[in-house]
Amino acid sequence: MMRMVSALGLVAILCAVTAAQQSEAPPLRVYPVQGAVSVIAGAGGNVVVQNGKDGTLLVDTGLAASAGPLAAEVRARYRGAVLWIVNTHLHPDHVGGNDAFAQADGRKPLDFLGARFDGTQPLKIIAHSNVLARLASAANGPRLSDAGLPRDEYATPFKDLRFNDEPVVLHHEPRAHTDGDTIVYFPKSDVVVAGDIFTPGGYPFIDVANGGSVAGEIAALNHILDLTVPGHTQEGGTSVVPGHGRLCDEADVVEYRDMVVIVRDRVQDLIKKGMTLDQVQAAAPSRDYDSEYVTAASFVKGADFVAAVYRSLTAK
Amino acid sequence: MRVVLAALLLAFPAAPAFAQVDVSGAWASLYHEDLPERLPGPELGDYMGLPINDAARLRGDSYDADRISIVQEYQCRPHGGDYQMRGLSNMRIDPVLDPVTQQLVAWHTRMGFQEMERTIWMDGRPHPDDMAPHTWSGFSTGTWQNNMLNVRTTHLKENYVRRNGIPRSANATFTEHWVRHGTYLTVTTVITDPALLTEPLVRSQTWVLDPGQRMGRDICEYGDEVPRERRDYVPNHLPGTNPFLHEVADWYGLPFEATRGGAETLYPEYRSKMPKPEKPKLVCERYCTCGVGANAVCLLAPTAPRPR
Amino acid sequence: MRRACAIVAFVTGLWQGLAAQGPPGPPVPTPPKSGREGALVDFTGTWVSPVMEDYRWRMVTPLKGDAASIPYRQDAVAIINAWNPAKDEAAGLQCKAYGAPALLRIPGRLRISWQDDNTLKIEADQGTQTRLLWFTSGATRAGAARGVSAVALAKADVKPTWQGQSIARWEAGQAPTAGGFALGTSARWGSRSQSLEVVTTNLRDGYLRKNGVPYSDKTTLTEYFDRFSEPDGQEWFTVTTIVNDPVHLATPFVTTTDFRREPNDAKFSPVPCSAR
Repeated sequence: MMRMVSALGLVAILCAVTAAQQSEAPPLRVYPVQGAVSVIAGAGGNVVVQNGKDGTLLVDTGLAASAGPLAAEVRARYRGAVLWIVNTHLHPDHVGGNDAFAQADGRKPLDFLGARFDGTQPLKIIAHSNVLARLASAANGPRLSDAGLPRDEYATPFKDLRFNDEPVVLHHEPRAHTDGDTIVYFPKSDVVVAGDIFTPGGYPFIDVANGGSVAGEIAALNHILDLTVPGHTQEGGTSVVPGHGRLCDEADVVEYRDMVVIVRDRVQDLIKKGMTLDQVQAAAPSRDYDSEYVTAASFVKGADFVAAVYRSLTAK
Repeated sequence: MRVVLAALLLAFPAAPAFAQVDVSGAWASLYHEDLPERLPGPELGDYMGLPINDAARLRGDSYDADRISIVQEYQCRPHGGDYQMRGLSNMRIDPVLDPVTQQLVAWHTRMGFQEMERTIWMDGRPHPDDMAPHTWSGFSTGTWQNNMLNVRTTHLKENYVRRNGIPRSANATFTEHWVRHGTYLTVTTVITDPALLTEPLVRSQTWVLDPGQRMGRDICEYGDEVPRERRDYVPNHLPGTNPFLHEVADWYGLPFEATRGGAETLYPEYRSKMPKPEKPKLVCERYCTCGVGANAVCLLAPTAPRPR
Repeated sequence: MRRACAIVAFVTGLWQGLAAQGPPGPPVPTPPKSGREGALVDFTGTWVSPVMEDYRWRMVTPLKGDAASIPYRQDAVAIINAWNPAKDEAAGLQCKAYGAPALLRIPGRLRISWQDDNTLKIEADQGTQTRLLWFTSGATRAGAARGVSAVALAKADVKPTWQGQSIARWEAGQAPTAGGFALGTSARWGSRSQSLEVVTTNLRDGYLRKNGVPYSDKTTLTEYFDRFSEPDGQEWFTVTTIVNDPVHLATPFVTTTDFRREPNDAKFSPVPCSAR
């Protein structure tokens, strides 16, 4: 049953990706966020850019179909080479451009110390090791070339580096929207990049087939709230860039977290009453949030969200 | 002397004539309508007068007021741009002038409560696109129509239309119509929320000019008011379990159905369909003299002798 | 040389004053021939007030003694607590809560039309009440504003009524003035008003609410009617109602009521006054 579900989930993702690829790519829009960080929308998922004297760090690379325009925009707008790609998770609208950037980097031979013979710095693609494992196995997720895989993986609770004179901290969020989620924190720019853990215009896609769970999703949202510090009158301050949708801050994440918790509580209560998934979906425990979080174009409808919550609460 | 005179003439050139009204100044809100709701706060389950849909109603029914203590981020949350005009606070309005041309660029409002601020842009600038952050006050632009200032606001954060759990979504927009008559400023607010309202919510408030007003600071700091059981805890009532929903009907001798809100209950013809109260009352027992004299802070018990 | 400088400065100031008039602003209105002619906005039609404020004081008869939000004087308490609808019925005072200061707060519909060029008629289906708003000369306006209605009004010895005598005018705007020619005087923005101002006196004592919160026959009622349209095409007006009662109110009682235009008067349903 789980294999069928995960296969169906993969088919759904690939269908959405294919449809996006076949339709005309929307124009890219670039917005400054804070400090050295900006965001590019329209490439699939939001692509975050940190740029400075050292070069460019990207968080996610959007869809493969948008990689060309994305790379062109990055080249035109930001000085220096793309030296880091951080993938927040394995979904194709966030890793699809990896191959294109890896090709552009050239993947020149390295010496035994890992340096290039010509002195240039190689592109490093980094994600949590669960992302690499799933992408490399090709059982789930898109097919990437070897060069496009996040081979600079990390398996610890967090990893930090310094780039453009700014700490960059990668936090693994276990079993959240997937089991390989990373949120990226730029303390100096005061920006948190949330990936698809937080998508203000729609329900979170809790990808149970790829290790996601509602408990981890809630814990991840709480962790984002631990990192954010709001400005005057509880707005602004730390910027939160979601995986899709508008620029946000702590207050937006609070509302979202509350919604997930409340729907979780309701589904949990119905499970305790012995209801099946069909019965729980019929009870529509998300019905007071559907009008805000679901549109005709939504990837995750109310019933889908409820099903994911149900499955992650009943998983053995 | 003549040279001096001529130089002074140059310093006071004439200016073109355009229609505008000065709304600047210090304003005090009048609470001659809905005072108990706007100041001490609405009763739980009181959805009267709100054209809410089922989603909003369930959100209200699920609301547990502990939430604004336990979820610490709510403790210092200010009102949205729409509710600011309705809730507790005095207001100061300042013109924002272009330093070079001295032309009006915006009106800036500041509320005493939680230091809420808004800018109403009058220079014709467009609203930002859908990627722009949403704020409590939203993004506002205004135009004059004779003596009426028409304001349109978008990009609002999620907030509330009533402080008992009835939300207003981040998809909402609102318009306002400001008119000044002497020392009175009337603001009519029209909230359109496709997610939670079935028709626009229209409310109007009046402010009176208060030149002696001094507005200080109101800096909020959150604290541990109520211990939180665990990190994934957000106080809420499961559907069908809120024990407080009948209180407002029982306290005021109203039919429960009328307290549930909805567009149908707003129109005159509803009075002929309105059911009888489940617990009728004859005499006021709660907030009877709210807002008057010694009871300006709205004690529950009337200060006047109870009517027989 | 000094004279030349002064002449240049004077001419420059004159030129600036003339050139800076800019595009013609709204014309300074000449006194209209009639109230109807002077209307910048249209109030005619049928209007309904969806009750989105003060619901439990308007949609139902409030409980006896409930005077929340009203700035009444302490000496009105005895009247509030003595409210007796049966007594009002017996005395034929069923319409006591339908007087002009309270009429527009009662959930119902209004039908507004021009009775003649200088009389705007407001018919309320609740209580089958009719208000006539007179557009008259300045002399009678001033009289009405002072509450000296019996002497200043065109019709002498008019008894107080539930609806009183209403004098209306289109609120005067402010003429723009150009400055530059008098020391210390700068130009003034003009403003053109589209508001209808109505002052009502000669009222019988009545109730601000159906549960007997009183206003006296010394009351002056001032109202401002303001029209607006919404992006969805709906047309509305807001009426700001200022009740000045030196007998029962500690301060002016100010409320605002919003009305939406209806496509026709199919739902205009006259019902008689009720004391309950």
